[in-house]
Amino acid sequence: MRRRLRSSLLILAVAALMLGQGGNPLENARVRLLGDQLACLCGCGSSITSCNMLHCHISEPARQKLLSMVNAGRSDSEIFAAFVKEYGQRVLLKPPSEGFNLLGWLMPFIAIGAGLALVWWLIRRFRRPLAATAGPEPDPALMAQIEKDLDKLD
Amino acid sequence: MENLGALAILLAFCLAVFAVIGSVVGGWKRNEFLVISAQRAVYSIWLLVTVASGVLVSSLLASDFRFAYVAAHSNRAMPTLYKFAAWWGGQEGSLLLWSWLLASYAAVVVFTNRRKHRGIMPYVTATLMVTQCFFLILNAFVASPFQMLAVGRGITSVADGQGLNPLLQYPAMAIHPPMLYLGYVGFAVPFAFAIGSLITRQPGDAWIHTTRRWTLVTWLFQSSGIILGAGWAYAVLGWGGYWNWDAVENASFLPWVTATAFLHSVMMQEKKGMMKVWNMVLISGTFFLCIFGTFLTRSGVVSSVHAFAQSSIGQWFVGFLALTIAGTVYLILSRLDYLKTEARLESVVSRESSFMFNNLILLAAAFAILWGTLFPVISEAVTGEKITVGPPFFNRINIPIGLFLLFLTGVGPLFAWRRTSLESLRRNFQWPLLGGLVLVMGLFVAGMRHPYALMSFGLCLFVAWTISVEFYKGARAIHAKSGQNLLLAAVELTRRNTRRYGGYIVHLAIVLMFVGFTGSAFNKDTTIEVKVGDRFTLGHYEMKVVDLREGDNDNYSQSSALIEVWKDGQPLGTMAPERRFYKASRQGTSEVAIRRRLNEDLYLNFAGKSDDEQRAVIQAFVFPLVSWIWLGFWLLALGTLICLVPSKVRFEFARLPAVRVTQKYAATVKK
Repeated sequence: MRRRLRSSLLILAVAALMLGQGGNPLENARVRLLGDQLACLCGCGSSITSCNMLHCHISEPARQKLLSMVNAGRSDSEIFAAFVKEYGQRVLLKPPSEGFNLLGWLMPFIAIGAGLALVWWLIRRFRRPLAATAGPEPDPALMAQIEKDLDKLD
Repeated sequence: MENLGALAILLAFCLAVFAVIGSVVGGWKRNEFLVISAQRAVYSIWLLVTVASGVLVSSLLASDFRFAYVAAHSNRAMPTLYKFAAWWGGQEGSLLLWSWLLASYAAVVVFTNRRKHRGIMPYVTATLMVTQCFFLILNAFVASPFQMLAVGRGITSVADGQGLNPLLQYPAMAIHPPMLYLGYVGFAVPFAFAIGSLITRQPGDAWIHTTRRWTLVTWLFQSSGIILGAGWAYAVLGWGGYWNWDAVENASFLPWVTATAFLHSVMMQEKKGMMKVWNMVLISGTFFLCIFGTFLTRSGVVSSVHAFAQSSIGQWFVGFLALTIAGTVYLILSRLDYLKTEARLESVVSRESSFMFNNLILLAAAFAILWGTLFPVISEAVTGEKITVGPPFFNRINIPIGLFLLFLTGVGPLFAWRRTSLESLRRNFQWPLLGGLVLVMGLFVAGMRHPYALMSFGLCLFVAWTISVEFYKGARAIHAKSGQNLLLAAVELTRRNTRRYGGYIVHLAIVLMFVGFTGSAFNKDTTIEVKVGDRFTLGHYEMKVVDLREGDNDNYSQSSALIEVWKDGQPLGTMAPERRFYKASRQGTSEVAIRRRLNEDLYLNFAGKSDDEQRAVIQAFVFPLVSWIWLGFWLLALGTLICLVPSKVRFEFARLPAVRVTQKYAATVKK
């Protein structure tokens, strides 16, 4: 009985300490890191770490929640999952790379790949010489000059 | 008054319709009378839109709150400058500014070309006037700035307006939107010349020569607009961010990227007669992205801090974009014969292919940004769930792309046209490359571990080095001939070929900006509640709160802190961050205190009061190297202006005859 009382007192003390610690969650490096991946949905357009609206009704409780989860030793994915459960997918500033959203991540690279293929094809096409077009006979002096300049190039 | 404004817009719309029909029919039937009449209509449109704008501005200055627009975007206590700036502070007014700028550009184009380009001018006028019609429709029927409140009929009087958004009551912000619009609207001119050249099947690239300066000036406006916005965000929003990948920021950046690609790829057309179709696509794309950017700001399709109130105006933009894109695609496809390339690529290792890569990477960046901006809309349509695509996404994709572009900035200009030998590559690159590597190793040994920051600093040195060598080599040659000292010789060098060396200066400016961007990897900050006498530290800085003050005037009330600052024990004086509360709009803003230095900025923000109102909440930030971004912008402006000055030595490319000779030559060699 006594032991149970003592342990509950201890738990209370720890909880009180965590609450009292409330000062500023942004002093915790991991809170800042995680908060930068989460959108502040108050309309400020910034992240939970960088929202600077005073007494913001979204970012301040969110930071406290982050701090308590970080102090409780939760993993990143657990923390993100908890935030998604509370606010929906749009709280993640970086959409998860799964399902349809995977396309969001891959598309820019697909575009670069397609662009590279296009440039490669163009270079090949442009390297085939044009059919000689009929024109006035070139001036021999000019031809000699070109020959000389071409030699100088290398 | 209000009727005068509305009437002017309606008349301008009728004249714009006439100008389109008159110039097309006049150009087609070769009726010079109609063409000139249409051009006179352009001047009249400018006059009419100026009158309408004058009515709006004068009612803003006079605080005539019968106007719904004036009541919604200004108040009596606002300084005159911001009353004027309220012209573009809201949806209706800023659309009127668009119209006015377009009318002004059109009038200048028509005037400066009144004796030139007679063949294509009717179609240039028509293209500009189609765009003008669209914006005048918006001004007259969709978002009229001349809607009146029913004062005297229901409402007795409006005592005061709601005021301009206080975040906009800042000098840089007052000029940021017009700068950006000067850019957005300006791209209509090269686009119009491109369309004119397509319609009349111009064989050459006269449209490029004619619009080169327009494009450069417009590009400079667009750059200034973007940087002013960034500088404003840095100094006003209170957290020191200058770029947040917000949808509307992206929208202003997109045409800048494609225009940059255009400025590079036109050189391929001017010097080699290649990539003609591509240039058409690029300039059209840039123009469409300008319209698209305006659409994003106004339609509320994507959520953004910049967005105006949600409205149905978006449908009009979608309709206009669909029509113009369809028209342009049809024109390009039906004129492919006139856009055939004149030259061949001789080597993969050449300036030509480096331009292709530059274009590819710029376009990839533009695509990635556009995709990320629109993906929330696409994803919601497909999966039904709202998602956010924020800075972590854009940074992850665009930082590597940006670094590769930086690399190309250094490499590209050193490739020779036609082909480059491995020996010359080695000669040009070995020392700069080695220098960059040594810097990276030095920084690593000194304890820097951020991989992108290391790469970026290394590349910055590499690019700056290659550019300096270019200047040095040219200047030394002039010095050897004329005996001028090296600095004067470098100036002389630049004057002889302003396009080339002005371009290098712009590249150098981009390097400075990258140094500034990279500094953000090492930002530091702290947030603290303090009372008078408290001390706190951040990095090398120590700060002591000397005084907390309160103040009040007609426009806003304020709280400020007086903070004494030391760095490594040396006193640096005092700084006074301030928090304002604007009365009319009932919104708060931060007036941050910034100590700007080349190595780092110290940035103090008065974030507010503690819950018990006894203490101040101060946020302190250290932003390393951020000033290099603004410095880079000034250099960029200088470089662009140099590009606009005619070169002292005229370079004749005599492209067509030479190309024919080389073709003949290639044929003889083959035999």
